[in-house]
Order: sequence, then structure tokens, then C-alpha cells
Amino acid sequence: MQTPAKTDLFSGLDKAPVGLAIWGATGDLIYANEPFRMLLPTEASIEMDQPYRDFLQAFLVQYGASMAHDLTGAPLSTDTISGKSCIWEQLLADGRTIEVHQTVAEDGGVTLTTHDVSNRKKIEFELRRARDAAETSDEVKSRFLRAANHDLRQPLATLKILIYSCLTELDHEHRQDLLHTMDMSVAIMEDLLGALLQIGQLDAGQIEPRVTIFQMSQIFERLEVQFEHQARTKGLEVRFRGHRYTASTDRALLERIVTNLVANAIRYTDTGRVVVGCRPFGDRLRIEVWDTGRGIGDEHLSRIFDEFYQVPDLVHTRRAGLGLGLNIVSRLAELLGIPVSVSSKPGSGTVFRLTVPAGDVWHSQANEPEISESLGGEFVGLNVVLIEDDPVLRDSMCALLERWGIVVLPAASMAETDRLLDATPVIPDLVIADFSLRGEFGTMAGQRLRERYGASLPVLIVTAEIDPEVVSGIRQQGFPVLIKPVSPPRLRVMMHNLLFENLGEQRGNADAF
Amino acid sequence: MLSEIPIGSLVPLTGPSAVDGREFRNGVLMACEEINAKGGVLGQELHPHFEDTGRQTPEEVVAAANRLIEHKHVHAIINGYNIGPQNAEYEPIADAGIIYIHHNTLLQHHDTVLSDPERYFGCFMGNPAEYWYGRGFLKFLSALRERSAWRPHNNRLAIISGSKPYSIVIAKAMASSARTFGWDVAFGPEIVQTPRSDWRDVIARATATDPAVIANTHFYAGDLAHFQSQFMEAPSNSLVYLQYGAMHRSFSELAQENAIGVVVSAVTSLLRDEMGRAFSRRYLERFGPHSTPQVGCQCYNAVQHYALAVAAAGGSGAPGQHTTNRRVAQSLKDITWRGVSGATHYHEQWQTAVSYPDQSNDPSLGMPHLFFQVQSLDRGLALIAPEPYDVDPFIQPPWFTS
Repeated sequence: MQTPAKTDLFSGLDKAPVGLAIWGATGDLIYANEPFRMLLPTEASIEMDQPYRDFLQAFLVQYGASMAHDLTGAPLSTDTISGKSCIWEQLLADGRTIEVHQTVAEDGGVTLTTHDVSNRKKIEFELRRARDAAETSDEVKSRFLRAANHDLRQPLATLKILIYSCLTELDHEHRQDLLHTMDMSVAIMEDLLGALLQIGQLDAGQIEPRVTIFQMSQIFERLEVQFEHQARTKGLEVRFRGHRYTASTDRALLERIVTNLVANAIRYTDTGRVVVGCRPFGDRLRIEVWDTGRGIGDEHLSRIFDEFYQVPDLVHTRRAGLGLGLNIVSRLAELLGIPVSVSSKPGSGTVFRLTVPAGDVWHSQANEPEISESLGGEFVGLNVVLIEDDPVLRDSMCALLERWGIVVLPAASMAETDRLLDATPVIPDLVIADFSLRGEFGTMAGQRLRERYGASLPVLIVTAEIDPEVVSGIRQQGFPVLIKPVSPPRLRVMMHNLLFENLGEQRGNADAF
Repeated sequence: MLSEIPIGSLVPLTGPSAVDGREFRNGVLMACEEINAKGGVLGQELHPHFEDTGRQTPEEVVAAANRLIEHKHVHAIINGYNIGPQNAEYEPIADAGIIYIHHNTLLQHHDTVLSDPERYFGCFMGNPAEYWYGRGFLKFLSALRERSAWRPHNNRLAIISGSKPYSIVIAKAMASSARTFGWDVAFGPEIVQTPRSDWRDVIARATATDPAVIANTHFYAGDLAHFQSQFMEAPSNSLVYLQYGAMHRSFSELAQENAIGVVVSAVTSLLRDEMGRAFSRRYLERFGPHSTPQVGCQCYNAVQHYALAVAAAGGSGAPGQHTTNRRVAQSLKDITWRGVSGATHYHEQWQTAVSYPDQSNDPSLGMPHLFFQVQSLDRGLALIAPEPYDVDPFIQPPWFTS
């Protein structure tokens, strides 16, 4: 029979945040509080009332033990836990981790206490993960710096010598040669830094693909610009075919892949051409980069995608690669799930093939989504001469016209207008001139520009004069008038009429708004 | 609270756009009648007031807007397009702080609203800007080609533009997007003075470039009928696309058999689904067999959407009641309306309906840019693209030699 005091004690222990169970020297269970009992799964065949040794065995079979050690810190195996004071951790079915303290008394009795250490374990895990990431990042950075150090030294040293030579070189032609070589050294350094940066980003897992649907022309047109000059300098022809097809993948990453392949092709081709083609291949697109270069022997083909691998026969090229381009291609392609294959014949050339998912042209996200008048308005690309002596008004009118996509040639006076137009081959489409220009008149400027560019050049006079005689005088000279402050809609209507509506001789008679 | 909500409408009931103007008026009327028959908006009836904008000059349109605000105290102005004022009417409307929903289909709406979003909080364009016609057209051509519904003999385009800003912007957008989709602009964009009935010279110069496609972005139905008839005097193997005006019955009536095969599109029009067909029946019953529900649907949609936004905002505001109307404007942006023309989903900054599939790939968030083809003179236009709204296949134009 338990005394009332004992009952109170046990009741208090049931509320404790730790599990507690006590077995006597004979192995019989004396007491287990509620938190301890709650640890045991209801469906498990673990009987609390069995002898301790049997209970422990069932308990360990059910959950196993990890990180078990005795009170001196020495590790213990599951088999040796029995009969010793020790501590171990157990992962429960509900995801919690508990720490179990087993204390063996001198008479053989055993006390088990359990503590929920889930939060501590979670924090430890996060810390470990952060440490691993930091170590990886550190390693990546070190590798980046080692590679950068190694590969940047050569062009830097060359550059240093060239600058020194350039400083003392008097012969113009030779100086130009030196500058050209310096330019190449800088280009090599740019390539190197770009490639190392990409590798660094890939290593650090910082590149996440963003799949969109786009036209291949969006990549090809950029590459045409990028490589045209480089290829021409080498006497090569670069052609792109298949602009019209629609792809569905990460556009920027695909562009990096194709850029690397084309750069490689140009680098290792001495004569002939590089052809980049895209065509349907079942429900996908096949992109191929062909060159008429030196080709790659079979023995190297399997290794060309390795980091820093360079085909021995090609290393002596004037501007050899770094052995990073194809590694980037292969890693980006893997990231995008794009298969890459290569076939080559030494002496004849190489072809790289990519297979990318095709997209639906209806859903193509071509061009600029944030469309505005400066990109798509009716006045886009027109050249307008603006003659206004007030700098504040000139600036605000410039801003308005530029918002409409107009190329503005601003001037404060007739002399400045002449200087501006003398310095450019641009032929103005329209002139907007203030009437009063500090001793000069906008109408005079208009006449002079019509003499220069033809009588049909539209000229619009703006004025703060409200005297009807002045306004009518301007009109009589053949110029339409807008009264200041100029309202943008009215300016727009007037400009539209002057530029696009064939008003002929009526131009001078357009209404003043 | 007033027993009614006065709504204004700036409609060209006379002048060159009177044919469309009548349909805009019909659309507003029908929406108001249907809403009022169901009890109005928060117990208030919608009362429409119409002002004729005639030739749609800035003066005419601004004066009409002023009359609606000052004399009728309208809470909103809802109408189709007015092609002349170049947003000049925004000023009195912004001063009054009321809601304005129009269908001017002009890119300049974006810039005007963005230039001062606080001032132009109430100005909405109920359909996408004309710019999207250009890119949408190229997607349409490319999709026809990719799906082998049409096999062009080359990739050349000839682009002819009327002299209105709308036509010029579309023509330029076609030209600037052409290469992206693998097309080559062999002719134009050639801007010709419009209105025009004699197109022979420009047609001859365009067909001389042997184009696979001839696009004319002018939009007056009568002028386009002349264009097509003159093209058919010596047709080339070119697909002919004519801008919006060719949607009108009057185009087919004037061009007759010559019209068959022509492709036309609209960034807002009537769907051929159950909702669209039911609307069409009611509209024709109400306004007669010669009315055009495909045009009237724009204003009908806009009034329905406005009524819903007013209800959600808890009421509408008269001129000067900016705060109330700001709530209505916010509701218009918050609530995507699936009407008889598809979805009206306002772009948060531009306050213009987003276009599907030109801007959004999601048909539930974009107003469909619909492509039609004249396939017979009595069955109306065939709706040939895009999915999921298309109901008819494209047919090879009869003037094609192979």
C-alpha cells in the first residue's frame, strides 16, 4: 500500500518534463512516470512490467541507440549498454530525439531518465549545415583564387611588358601592333574571369534554371553580334540558321552553352566556317555547332568536358583556351537536363549537338514585356531638332520627346544648331523651335534649316506670345504655331499631322491650339 | 444616396466612325438595361448619357467630356474608342476624379498613366494597346507555319500602314518583331495617307517584292474593301491580313467574294462560346439584325465590370468625390472579370487589360487576341485562333495558285 505522501510524490513526477523509470535490484519495475510511459508506442510489444533486461532489449530493438557512451565519455555499443551507467540518444518514431540516462545502483537497481533534446539537435544540425556550406564556399573560393592566380599571371605579365614597350615606342605602326596585342591580353583575362566566375557559381550551387518559352532568334541575334568581328578577323564565316524555332528552357543558360561552343569552334578553326543550326527533332529541337577546325582525336573525346582539360595538340593555338569552356557546357547542360553529344574527325572538324525541349510559339515571351512608347510608339527613332534658349524648358521638352522614343538634338541658338548638325550625318525629321531666341527668331532658324534640308522639312514654332498679330505673322511665314505652355497631347497631335498626314502646303496653316 | 448612378459615354455618333459609335452606344445601353432589370447596383439604377464626339478631334472630345462632367455629373465615362484626342480628354476627367474606361487601343495610355499614377488613377483602357496587334500577328503567322496549316513560299512580309497613330504603331510593331519570329520585312512599313480608296500603286509595289504575307494596318472598313478588291485584280500568292475594320459586316458587303480568305484580328471581340453566343442573340434581338455584337461587346463588358467594382467598393463617386472613386478604381484592378470577350484583368501599373497570348500565357488572366478569317459571306467570320477559343480551321485563301 502506498502512503498518501508517496501518491503525491508520484503525481508530481507525472508532471515533470523528464521521463523517469526505476527498476529494483531484482529487475522488477518499481515505478515509471507518465512522460516515460508516453514514450512507448502503444502498438509495440514493450511491456513495462517485464524484468529490466528484457525491457531494455525490446526498447533497443524498437528504436536502436545512437551516440551511446558511458559516464566517462567512452563509446558503448548497443550490446554493452546493459549493466552500466551510461547515456545514449534515441530517435523516436514521431521524429523527436531523446537522451536516455541509465544509472545503475550498487545493488543492481536501474534508473532511466529521458530528456527531449529535439530542439538542441535541430540547432546542431543547422549549425553543422552552415559550417559545411561555409567550408564548401571556402574551398570553392580557394580553388577560384588558385586558378585565377595561375592563369591571370601570364596575360598580366605580357600586359606589363607591352605597356612598358608602348610608352617608349615612337613608331606609330609598331605602337598600334603593341596596342592590338594588349587588347588581346585583356580579352584573354576577361574570358578567364568570366569562365572562372561561371565555374564558381556552378560550384556554389548558385545557378537556378528559370524555364521560359522564347525564340531561338533571341539567342542567335546576340551571338551574331558577339562573334561576327572575331570570326572576320580570323577570316572565318559564322552562320546561324533556324532563328524561327521556339524553345522551352532557361534562355540565359542555353545562351551561355552555345556561346562557349561557338567561342571554342572559332578558336580552333583556322579556315572555313562555323555554322550554328537549329531544327525540329521530333517534339524537340536539335541545336548543332559545326566547325571546319582541326578536330579532336577519339582518345580525347571522352575527356574534353573535364575541368581544365586541354587537348594536347590544340594547346599551342595562338589564343588557346583555358580548358574550362566545355566543362561549363557540360555542367550547365546537366543542370538543364539537355543531352550534349560530340563527334569529330581530326583534320575535318567537330560538331556538338544539343537537344532542347521545343516551345509553343503562341506562348513565346519574345522581346520586351514592359512595352512603352519609348520602345513602340509612333515617333520611335525619329530625329527632332529642338531649339530653345531656356535651359529648363529645353530639358523638360527633351524629356517629353525622349519618352516618346524620339532622338532629340537640343540646341540653344541657331549657331549651336548649325554646329550640332555639322557634326552629325543625321537628317532631321522635324524641327521644334522657340520663337524668341535672344535676338534671333525660331522662324529664321526654320527657314535656314529648310534651305539646308529641303522645303518639305516640317518646322513647328512654339511661343509664349499671345499677341494675335505675332501669331498670325508666324503662320504667314509658313509655320504652324503652338502656344506655351505646350500641352503634350496637343504637341503630339501637331507632330503627328506634320509628320504623317500629307498636309503639303497646308502645313503652314495648321491651327494653333 | 442618389436613386441612380449617371454614366457618361463619349461616342462618335456622326462622322467617319459612326458605324462603330452606334455599337458602342448599344453596348452601354444593353449593359445598363440588364443590370437595372436585376435591381441595379446597390439599389441604384445606371443611367447612361451619350455625347456625340463627331470627327473625334481633341476639341470635340474634350468638350463632350466637359459637358458630361459639368452638366450630367457623371460618376464614370465608359465608351469605345475616339481616335483623335491623343488622351487630351484625360485632363478634365482626372480633374474631376471620376472613372474613365475607354477602348482607344493606344500605347500612349501606358505612358500617360505612368507619368502621374496619382492623377490618372481613374483612367483605364478596357482592351490591350494596339502594339500587341503587331507581335500577336507574328505569333499567329508563325503558329500557322509551325503547324503546317499554311506553307508560305518564303518568309517575306509586306507591311502597309494608314496614317493614323494606331496604324503606324501596329505596323512598326510588326516590323520590329518580324525577325524574332523568322520573318523578313521585304516592303515597308509604307505609311500611306488615309482615308484612301485607290490602293493600286502601293499594292503593285508591295506585290513586286513577292511577299508571303501582305498586312495592311489601316482600319476603315470601306477603305479596306477597296484595298482587297484592288488586290484581287492581280493577286499574288500572299496571305492578306487587314486590320480591325475588316471585322465589320460592311467590309464583306462591299468587297463581296473578294473578301473570302482575308484574315483579320481584334485584341478585343466576342467569343464564340456559350456566353458569347447568348449575348449575341440578345444583342441582335435588341438592336436588329444589322447591328454588330462583336463591336458592342466592348462597352457591354466594361459597364458590367464597372458595376461589379462599384458594388465591391460600396458605391460610386460624383465629380470631386476622389476618395470614393479611388476605391472603385482599386476594385477594378482587384477583380478580374470574365465577360463575353474573355477575361478583363487590369495591369496594376498600366491600367490596361492584359492581352492573351501576347502578354500572358494564361487565358484566365488575359483578353484574347482573336484571329478571324472571312470564309463565307453569309456565315460571318470564322474564329481561327488562338486556343482555347478557336472554333474553325484556317483555310487556304481562294486566290492562292497552289
